[in-house]
Amino acid sequence: MVYLPPPQYASASRTSYAEAYNKILATHRRSPLTSASSIIILVAPDVDALCAAKMLAQLFKQDDVMHKVVPVAGIADLESTRDELITQTELHTLILLNMGAILDLPSSEWFGDYDPQVTVHIIDSSRPQNLATLFGAGENGDRIIIWDDGGAEKLEEERKAWEAIMLDPEHDSDEDSDMYSDGGPSGDENEDDDVDVDGDGDDEECGEDGRLGKRRSLGGSGQGNRKRRRLGRRTHRLSSEQRETYEARLEKHYMSGTWYGQSASNTVYFLATVLERVDNDFLWLAIMGLTYQYTTSRISRADYDKYHPIFYDEVFRLNPPATAASSATTSLHPDDSSIRATDELRFLLFRHWNLYDAMYHSSYVAGKLGIWKERGRKKLSGLLAKMGFSIQQTQQSYFHMDMDLKRQLQSKLEAISPEYGMVELTYPSFMRLYGFKSHPLSAADAVEAISALLDIAGGVRMEVEVEGARNGGEWFGGGKVWEAPDKVSSEERGKIALVEGVNRSNGGPTRDMTKPQGLGQEGDESEIGGDGGELEWWIRNFWTAFDALTDITRLREALSLTMALHRAIIRQGSSIIDKQDIKTMRGHRVVVLTQGPDLALFAHPGVLSRLAMWLVDALRDRTPGTVLGGSRSKRKSLPFVVACLNERSGTYVVVGVTAALDFGDTRKNEFGLAFLDAKERCNARTRHSSFDTSVLEINKDDLNIFLETLCEGR
Amino acid sequence: MALPQSLRTSVTPPELELIASEQLIDIVPLVTMEKTAFISGAYGPLRPPAKARVPLWIAVNLKLKRKCHIVPPEWLSVESLQDKLTRETSNPGFSELPFRFAEISKVILDIASDDLENPDKIRTLLKDIREARQSKSREGISKLDHSELGLSGLCSMEINEIRPFFIKGMSVLTKLIRDPEHPPKLDET
Repeated sequence: MVYLPPPQYASASRTSYAEAYNKILATHRRSPLTSASSIIILVAPDVDALCAAKMLAQLFKQDDVMHKVVPVAGIADLESTRDELITQTELHTLILLNMGAILDLPSSEWFGDYDPQVTVHIIDSSRPQNLATLFGAGENGDRIIIWDDGGAEKLEEERKAWEAIMLDPEHDSDEDSDMYSDGGPSGDENEDDDVDVDGDGDDEECGEDGRLGKRRSLGGSGQGNRKRRRLGRRTHRLSSEQRETYEARLEKHYMSGTWYGQSASNTVYFLATVLERVDNDFLWLAIMGLTYQYTTSRISRADYDKYHPIFYDEVFRLNPPATAASSATTSLHPDDSSIRATDELRFLLFRHWNLYDAMYHSSYVAGKLGIWKERGRKKLSGLLAKMGFSIQQTQQSYFHMDMDLKRQLQSKLEAISPEYGMVELTYPSFMRLYGFKSHPLSAADAVEAISALLDIAGGVRMEVEVEGARNGGEWFGGGKVWEAPDKVSSEERGKIALVEGVNRSNGGPTRDMTKPQGLGQEGDESEIGGDGGELEWWIRNFWTAFDALTDITRLREALSLTMALHRAIIRQGSSIIDKQDIKTMRGHRVVVLTQGPDLALFAHPGVLSRLAMWLVDALRDRTPGTVLGGSRSKRKSLPFVVACLNERSGTYVVVGVTAALDFGDTRKNEFGLAFLDAKERCNARTRHSSFDTSVLEINKDDLNIFLETLCEGR
Repeated sequence: MALPQSLRTSVTPPELELIASEQLIDIVPLVTMEKTAFISGAYGPLRPPAKARVPLWIAVNLKLKRKCHIVPPEWLSVESLQDKLTRETSNPGFSELPFRFAEISKVILDIASDDLENPDKIRTLLKDIREARQSKSREGISKLDHSELGLSGLCSMEINEIRPFFIKGMSVLTKLIRDPEHPPKLDET
């Protein structure tokens, strides 16, 4: 048993989330060496993982359990963290959030070598999951537990295929013809076992991505294998057709691209529900996780609609319904912190901008109306005029708009927008009230603010518009540089030793810096150039975002940052489209950014991905979909590749997106595999710096060859 | 320290709060606990959903971990406080309130306002009561005399407020009584 079914499938014999959680608690209480580093939570830098971490931290705190939250940026970071953690003797639980599902964790390359008392829990929303981690049993397998959302139940076929291939390893290691040359190292490992491991299905995965450590070889679960080999070898010989079908099955599982399942925060929310410890804060964090997945097109509208009713019911359970007299968005009393269900318009942050800006900056509207041309802008003003809003009204900040206009906004939009081809402008979502402290915030806005903090709270100079600077702005000057309020320096964070049981990992920056750079302990705060400085900024951003999750004042401040970010994206996107900078290479649309005012900003993978998504949305109707050559599905999609030059390090950051033809739909992102494929073939120097396999960094000289190989190969 | 000079020699409000936390209060626990010995005594067992009587500090600790619900004492309700307020404003003396009502109500309002009905109204009423009593104690101070001052019905926080001034004032008056020719200097307040 290595995967946990969600609570609805749990029964007496199959444990589920709550039992796993209680086991963690029990281990913590019984172990004599318990300290703050007995339970370590590794968190990937995205909003969903952040929410899940916050919820878990809260649960642990309520149970008086000491734990530590450690941010991890990418695979490389994970490797170094793993190397460091293996030496800590008091560690007994490791929890990975939004990372690691694809890795073969029971192998000795990852966690196979750890002390037997250590359990590793994986709560990850990315799919596909590695079958060895899911189904591998035996001594190593039992320690590694994936918290599943019910998807693994449907993998019966894959399970059979994997087990069959495991039980009947092909031939001896002398018959290497079926193995890729990467089988070299795994061959070595296997010398003792004499097991030729892996089904070829897994092998292909080896060949694909040596770097990501998928090159494992079931040699990792060596002991289990040895026994099985003795039993299985002689008795089950698979016929070659059977073998082929099984291998095809496995290949299909791994090769169809990456997609996302249930969000991590949703999983932790279910855990909290089973433990009966949910309250509005948990619910809000879970809602944020779900909204994040939807607004970044990780899940389709259909999936979103699957999860939405659950939260809708929860909201009504925990928040007494607003009386008919009061509007849904006014606070009933000063400490009202309830959540209400609303319909959210697709305009970004529209309650914080004026209406014109919100529609201008929304990628959906931008695409339909063609905002980057003057004609499109006129269309937008025309649309607003048709709805009965005067120009002056639309330029007013939302809060100062007339009340009746606000109320009619939604109905008018629904009436008029189909003329312009915009349908599906709203989707059901939630808002949170903050009493008399501040105006209510919608889930989408909160998600935007947090992801902006994660990406660019520090490390990049962002000019932010001062309110009131627009009309009559000459008096107030231009923008001001955004700064995180009360920037707690990282030294101070390190000194906040055991604050309520959460020991912030200041070990993070210093540890990572001493390894590659040999920088001293005092290198914390000062801006040491090069990689030392870079590791610093994202960890600081992580903690700023983590703090802002429950602090409404920080969130509001971050909103202006988000707006500036979006303006930059629009600027860049419009100029790209205007200059017709999009090249088409065999069905792929490729954009390369080498200059521009915001180049440093777009060197961040998160921002670049947003730009890619914006371009996709904007150009959805104008580009025909294509079926990629080597792809598995026959459905048309829009493959987009965006590359941006990072002048400082002389590399290009490349992001690949496989978008669907319809708004609100998703396709499995095949760029992870495509990138690896292309890299192999043209020997480019690349680096995967995040957990998302469709983002990579490549040496600038290799870019062109890489792009060509990428596009022609499919 | 942020307290003004005059209050530094007396007990501070957080300390009073700590002392008040020893008082027993009813809770509805959500977890089970056996009869456990603490430094101040043995409390428990906790058997949900039956009510239990524990010190306020245990209640606070459990509530913060979402493991109990606090049952507010009878005097901490809108009707009872309204009643006290009317009595306060109509009679010249101080009305009967639990000795540490200010600390206990603050703690409960802070962490368990969801267990109270209408916490805003309660806050307003408490504020009104405080102001009414404050005006009365100010009047009472003006009757300060060298040997005694009777202000019956004052509560712990109010006494603490008056105490430094009271002590200083009485000592000055005593000196005055003994030697009316040479009044003591009043600058060391």
